[in-house]
Formats: sequence, structure tokens, C-alpha cells
Amino acid sequence: MVGLSVGEKHFIQGGIAQDLRSDGRKRLTYRPIYVETGVIPQAHGSARVRLGATDVIASVKAELGKPSALQPDKGNIAIYVDCSPTAAPMFEVGRGGEELSTELSVALQRCLLGGKSGAGAGIDPTSLVVVEGKVCWDLYIDGLVISSDGNLLDALAAAIKAALSNTGIPKVDVAADATSDEQPEVNISDEEFLQFDTSGIPVIVTLTKVGRHYIVDATSEEESQMSSAVSISVNRKGHICGLMKRGGVGLDPSIILDMISVAKHVSEQLINKLDSEIAAAEASEEES
Amino acid sequence: MAAKPGSAPVTYSPNLGQKTRPPIFKDNDLDWVRPDGRGFHQCRPAFFRTGAVNSASGSAYAELGSTKVIVSVFGPRESKKAMMYSDTGRLNCNVSYTTFATPVRGQGSDHKEFSSMLHKALEGAIMLETFPKTTVDVFALVLESGGSDLPVVISCASLALADAGIMMYDLVAAVSVSCLGKNLVIDPVLEEESYQDGSLMLTCMPSRYEVTQLTFTGEWSTPDINEAMQLCLDACNKLGKVMRTCLKEAASGSQE
Repeated sequence: MVGLSVGEKHFIQGGIAQDLRSDGRKRLTYRPIYVETGVIPQAHGSARVRLGATDVIASVKAELGKPSALQPDKGNIAIYVDCSPTAAPMFEVGRGGEELSTELSVALQRCLLGGKSGAGAGIDPTSLVVVEGKVCWDLYIDGLVISSDGNLLDALAAAIKAALSNTGIPKVDVAADATSDEQPEVNISDEEFLQFDTSGIPVIVTLTKVGRHYIVDATSEEESQMSSAVSISVNRKGHICGLMKRGGVGLDPSIILDMISVAKHVSEQLINKLDSEIAAAEASEEES
Repeated sequence: MAAKPGSAPVTYSPNLGQKTRPPIFKDNDLDWVRPDGRGFHQCRPAFFRTGAVNSASGSAYAELGSTKVIVSVFGPRESKKAMMYSDTGRLNCNVSYTTFATPVRGQGSDHKEFSSMLHKALEGAIMLETFPKTTVDVFALVLESGGSDLPVVISCASLALADAGIMMYDLVAAVSVSCLGKNLVIDPVLEEESYQDGSLMLTCMPSRYEVTQLTFTGEWSTPDINEAMQLCLDACNKLGKVMRTCLKEAASGSQE
């Protein structure tokens, strides 16, 4: 919870109405994004994303597992978010931290993993299968909030995208003589790695409505003044991959449609910016 | 599932075979019939009753097809957790499943997010400032999960809140749409939900024409979004009327 005086509240609301926010940004401008990849050597891929004072880490771990009987041609992907109490006292266990973690995890799963049948997923689950029905990769994506200054969801989605670009899955050789019933023997290569195609992974744009206007990338002060917020995930093709309203008062349907078109517009710049940041981070990692 | 005569006796196990069948739709196969014989844009008949639980301040029971839900509302009452002073009321929501609600026992615990989704869908409709310093508890129990569980829970909860006399701007009606191939089917059943390529849930206050919650999954293009939202808003409007009739019946019944 942010404690603000009446004057401060008016300052924030007035600034947003005049398209000049308290940190000098316009309504639809993001804070500068900093991406750092390969921050966790133990993981197969990792990234740290900073958006102003918001600081998150995402890590990707892959383990060999068995596909579920219902979907033998798909690997499993799980996304979890942990809001550490070190980031803010309100994340303490039993004081809403777990609730927020679940909310963020579900929101990310909704936006990145697509529908039940796997359509519209940012990561193609069929690419994780090694032997159909027998062996597949289980992908565990973990997000950690280190410091929170608003807009956690967008930052986490960006961090996951960067971490997946950074991920190398070991190449697996399957012993050819495996009979159909047995679990085939596999040989995990520790030299050859396979990369994911991350171009289809959407970014999430959260539009926060304050007064009659909406803003992107709200700080926690601005979030405390919100009347409602909508998170929209958009991929490179401009298709909506997920959307959820993040609480607050009701909205007119036409406003939501307007927000969707604004989000599409903002997402183009965000995707380009993020891609160049990821490329730069990968390059600097290789140099060092 | 009777064992064929002559075959070795086998123990009964749930038939998982049918779940691996190929996709229901091939491109534009409009001849396909839904499992319960409805049209694509036809909702299941809705049944609502208030006053299902005596000890609660308000309660409601809802039944749409095989989805059966009971919601009770307690309060406004003293906040259980010692929390700081608040000049608006608090809303506490909890959605749980009975262990026998799902085809596989205990599967309902997968839906951890439903409680916070219910909270978000309702908070925009309740006048929280009318009961400062207190909490209203909304407990929902899914007796049988037959698809579109969350929308039914939300509609039923708003009815229970109305039954408890909690001040609201309007009833909240909720409807979901599944995208199967290129077709949109409204109010999907469990079977359709397990194959869906995308889904959209919309909750709205029909007489204010305000959306309190909206979620999408899967890939959607703008024309599809427009169509699905229009479909949902229209269905919410009709569902709202059914809910209102139920409240009126309950009120006129108690006067007599």
C-alpha cells in the first residue's frame, strides 16, 4: 500500500490528465527497459529485466519427463511467480503475497500458453517432444520479483521472453533399438544445444485507467490511483493472445475495445525495443 | 462400459480414449452438433433459486445443465483478520470444489485463481462504502462441474449478495464463449472446454452496460473479439433478466 496525501494524489491525477506524468513521461511511454541475460548459471536460460525501480528475474529450467496421456504430442510448460517478501513487506506470506503470486502466475499462463488445445501459444509445446508419448521436455519457468515499483506483469512477461531467447535445451539422442513398450534410453548431449523460436512470444501491455485517461507502465504510486486496469498480451502479428481485467470498477465495452487498439499500437514499439535489448544483452554476454 | 462377453474381465477405469480423438472441427464444419444438441449461440437453460442456506445472510443455488453451484454470503460482519482501519467495506471471496465435482476426483483444486477472479468480478458492482469497517464473505461451492463453472459461480454469487441485501449497482451476469476452430460456441460444456482453442469470459452489469471482468485466452483477431463480446453482452442481458425474475419471485413469495 502506498500512502499518499491528498495533494500528491491530485498531482498524479492532474499530471496524467495533462499528459505529463510525475517522472516526465507521457501517458503511453514506457520507462527505459534494461535486459541482462544469463544471470543464473544453474538454469538453462535466465534473464533479469529492470523497468525503472521494478526489478524481476526469470529462469527457465528444462527436465526430461513424460508427456501426459491426454496430450502425447505436447511437452509440459509450467509458469510460477514468486513475490519475495524482500521486495516489499506486503508480499509477506499470509498478507496477500501468495494471492498476488497466484494472480501473476495465472495471468502469465493465460497470456503465454494459449488455449487448452495449445492454439495461440507463445511457445510451441509440440517442439518439446523428444519421443511422442514417451519422452518430452518439461519446461519450468520461474519468475522472481526482486523489487516492485508497479507494472510487475509486463516486466515478468518481458523477462520470460528474454529468458527463453537465452535458453539452450540440450540435444537429445534416442537409442534406436528401443522397443515400442519400453521407455527409450536417451543420451543428453552436453555440447549441442537447441534454441527456441521466441519470435511468437507475446508481450503484455497493462493499461491503467486513472480518471478518464489510461497510461502504460504505471509506477506503484500511479497504480494506487487506478480506477481499473486491463492487461493485454499482443504478439508480433498484432493478434491478442490474452487479456484480463485486473479489478477495479466496471468499464464500458467500447472503452475496452479502444484499450485493445491502443495496446496493439504500444506493443509494436515495445516488441521492437525489447528485441533489440535482448539482442544487445546476448551480445554482451558472449563477449564477457 | 460393460465388458464385452468373452473378453477377459477388466476392472473399470474412466474412459480416457475419447479425449485423444482428432479435433471436432475441420475448417468450417458447421454441421457439427454440440454434445447436448444446442445451437452454437444458444445458452443452456438457467435455473436460479435464492435462500438455499438458512444460516447465511443470503444464498443462492444455480444450475445450468450439469453445472451446479451453491453460494452463501455472510455479513457484513466484523473482519476476522486484524487489519488496519478501512472506511470502505471488504469483500472476501472463496471458491471451492467438492471432491466429487469433477470427472477425476479432487481435480477441482486446479482452480486456485477462481477466488480472486470472483473477487474482481464482484468488486466493481458492490457499493463497498455502504458497510465500512466490515467484511462480506462470499463462499462458493461447485457441487458439480459441467463446464463454464466460473461464469455460473459469478452470476450465482451476485444473486446471493442481492439476497443478503448487500447494496449493489446492479446484478452481475457472466457468460463465457469458447473458440473451437473458427466457430464461437457460447456457454461451453466441460467437453468443449477441454478442446477449446481459446476462450473468453465476460461479466457485466446488464442495466448499466458495464463490464466488470473480461478475460481472454488463446489467439484472437479484432473481428473475433468484437463478435464474441457482442455475443456475451447479449447473453448477459438475457441472463440478467432470468436472475431478476428469480429475485422478484422470491420477494413476492415472502410477502404472501
